[in-house]
Amino acid sequence: MSSQIPSFFSNDIVLHVEGIRKVYPNGVIANDNVTLSVFKGEIHAILGENGAGKTTLVNIIAGCIKPDAGEIYVNGKKVNIDNPRTATKLGIGVVHQHFILIPALTVIENIALSLDSGFKLDLNKVREKILQISSLLNLKIDLNARIEELPVGLRQRVEILRVLCQNANILILDEPTSVLTPIEVEEFFRILRNLKEKGCSIILITHKVKEALSISDRITIMRKGKVIKTLTPKETNEEELTLLIIGEKQNSEFISLTEGNNKNKEILLLVNNLNVKGDRGELSVKNVSFSLYSGEILGIAGVAGNGQKELIEALTGLRKPESGTIIIRGENVINKKPKSLIKKGMAYIPEDRIGRGVILTMSIAENAILKIFEENPFSNKTIMNRNSITDYTQKLMKKFGIIAPNPNIEVRALSGGNIQRLIIARELSYNAKILIAENPTAGLDVRATDFTHRMLLDLRSKGMGILLVSADLDELLKLSDRILVMYNGKIMKEFNRNEYDIYKIARLMLGIEV
Amino acid sequence: MIELIVSLIAITLQTSTPLLLASIGECIVERGGILNLGIEGAMLIGAFTGFIGAYFTKNLLIGLLSSIIGGIIIVLIFGFLVIKMNLDQVISALAINLLSYGICIYFFRMIFSQGSFPYLSELFSPIPIPFLSEIPIIGAILFNQTIFVYIALIIIPILHYLMFKTRYGLSLRAIGENPSIAYRLGINVSEIRYIALIIEGALVGMAGGAICLSMFNVFDTRITAAKGFIAVSIVILGRWNPIGVLGGALLFGFAEALSLWVGTLIIGPISASISQLLSILPYLVTIIALLIGGRKAKGPASLGASFSRE
Repeated sequence: MSSQIPSFFSNDIVLHVEGIRKVYPNGVIANDNVTLSVFKGEIHAILGENGAGKTTLVNIIAGCIKPDAGEIYVNGKKVNIDNPRTATKLGIGVVHQHFILIPALTVIENIALSLDSGFKLDLNKVREKILQISSLLNLKIDLNARIEELPVGLRQRVEILRVLCQNANILILDEPTSVLTPIEVEEFFRILRNLKEKGCSIILITHKVKEALSISDRITIMRKGKVIKTLTPKETNEEELTLLIIGEKQNSEFISLTEGNNKNKEILLLVNNLNVKGDRGELSVKNVSFSLYSGEILGIAGVAGNGQKELIEALTGLRKPESGTIIIRGENVINKKPKSLIKKGMAYIPEDRIGRGVILTMSIAENAILKIFEENPFSNKTIMNRNSITDYTQKLMKKFGIIAPNPNIEVRALSGGNIQRLIIARELSYNAKILIAENPTAGLDVRATDFTHRMLLDLRSKGMGILLVSADLDELLKLSDRILVMYNGKIMKEFNRNEYDIYKIARLMLGIEV
Repeated sequence: MIELIVSLIAITLQTSTPLLLASIGECIVERGGILNLGIEGAMLIGAFTGFIGAYFTKNLLIGLLSSIIGGIIIVLIFGFLVIKMNLDQVISALAINLLSYGICIYFFRMIFSQGSFPYLSELFSPIPIPFLSEIPIIGAILFNQTIFVYIALIIIPILHYLMFKTRYGLSLRAIGENPSIAYRLGINVSEIRYIALIIEGALVGMAGGAICLSMFNVFDTRITAAKGFIAVSIVILGRWNPIGVLGGALLFGFAEALSLWVGTLIIGPISASISQLLSILPYLVTIIALLIGGRKAKGPASLGASFSRE
């Protein structure tokens, strides 16, 4: 595979990795003989599923992880990148999937943190440097804003500005568009092209095939830790790339939504003039009203941070609303505790799987019965019945395809996809009629995403009412019967399935159109 | 009447000083994400080493120096436990407090025979600052104080500058918010935290020294009287900001001064029990002040959390 490389000492190759191998302590081979090179002024996409080893490769190049074997060359010279500082000095700048920004500090302070200067903190000098670069690229940003006040798209911009301030000429972006709306993505691509023109080399890590095809000069496909192939967009197409990414799996595994056809609809959840305050006392949900019917998926579209989180927390009893009503089957459940909402038939798939969905240090079995452990046969009034719990969990694991040696394995040993299956399994363990799904596929790979989508559709056909809150517009368009667009705490507009218009929705999400 | 108020304020400054020194030290380590509840013990050690140093050399300045060194050593032991060994901060602090208490009792008994009653023949006396101390009212309050009061007042702007106007301070604050991000940005988390702990150790040790060398001329293991813990609540009240901490320390110092002052007014057979009762005042103020001012306080996001690379 490495034979296509023109020459090690070619001036055009700014970064070359050779035979990179990394095996994690748990035995997972994350990178297996990975070799690739990046030319000056190119956008090089690395395409692959979750778990293909892309992020590991990035972390190795960035000096965050030590490889077990392999060599890295920067500008033709062999280098030893043993910590992030070294990578920075070599001109390698990384924008990680999870931003490395301190929310409580301002933009300028965050950038100053990673720049070298003396004992005294000279923010004016830092400001000058940022302005110089940002005006060159036409990137606008309020330097005195605290990161926590900025939407995700702007945070990413801060990250990019930061690595540029460190004089990076090799930019590595790990899943940069996963947090952006379609319009933000366009703007982001404009920035990338601009950078490329200025001579930067860009490595774009992504699992989105369309994106790789539209922006990059070359595409390297990774699967299960190995480099499968490097191609140019011209010589390939979507189908071929998809096939290369997922391997021998047949395309028939993937679904498309059929139109909903549900008669005798019943209102399961009725929300009226709901007002909810956020963490900092600001009104985050403003006069929100909607109803959720049985047998439908109601999508809520919006850029993260526009009140969706507070809305969900109010609905699930985790946050006290200021005013309004939430009616489940004729009863106002406002201010009811989560337990009585669960009894009323509400299920919840949280976005924060680790923090809210499972208890990592407890076993699969214990997690599986968290909502039903008080019931027969899992326990009598005081004592838990181990055997019935284990039996039950084993069946659940089979049914939902949770892969683990046995039900007594701690949940922290599971992958993200398996944890999500476990959460779904648990949420369906009692007869819930209402499901609130919050970004249910965030961070999942193609297969686990597909599983989750099928599950949601299956539940919809069984008459469940599903509130799907998602930052992924494609997902909403694919699954929802109706979409509500949320911006700045308000519902901007409702779309029925036959009225979907991606650009209109995106503009509403961004507040461009009111 | 005016004289009375002046003396009350002057006493307040004096009683505030150990609290101020300790809480400003605690403020800086908490900004770096370390919750050091062991400062009660560190203060006790400072008082002890200060007393021993001054007692045997008959030199108060050496006493001051040894209280600083004692404080630094014990805080660094805490730092070793929580930074190097990555132990739980609360549990480690508990151990440090017990250890400090044990050390003081053991060595005090070892050095001084049972029944003897060692005391210092002199205390740090107020140093009137030429001219300034002559200013009516303010002069007596601000410029006729012991060396500890001056140090405490000078240290506030210095630490404020360190925290907000230097790269060190920015790195420290970043660590307090999220040490793993700070580490990934190439900041040397351990080094910066150790530096903060050394500063804290010096200040807290000095706070103990201030008690033994400028207020009482004897040593007793009860001498710090939970001032270290009060300092921790002052940091919360002061919103992790040196200037806020100054306000908090003055409030508690005033409560203590008030209880001392009221205590002297009462004469008669019940005076002892009343002044005992009054001595709860500072602790009562702690609870009330936290109820009022501490509710919405938002500290460094990673305060008290453990951090290890990888």
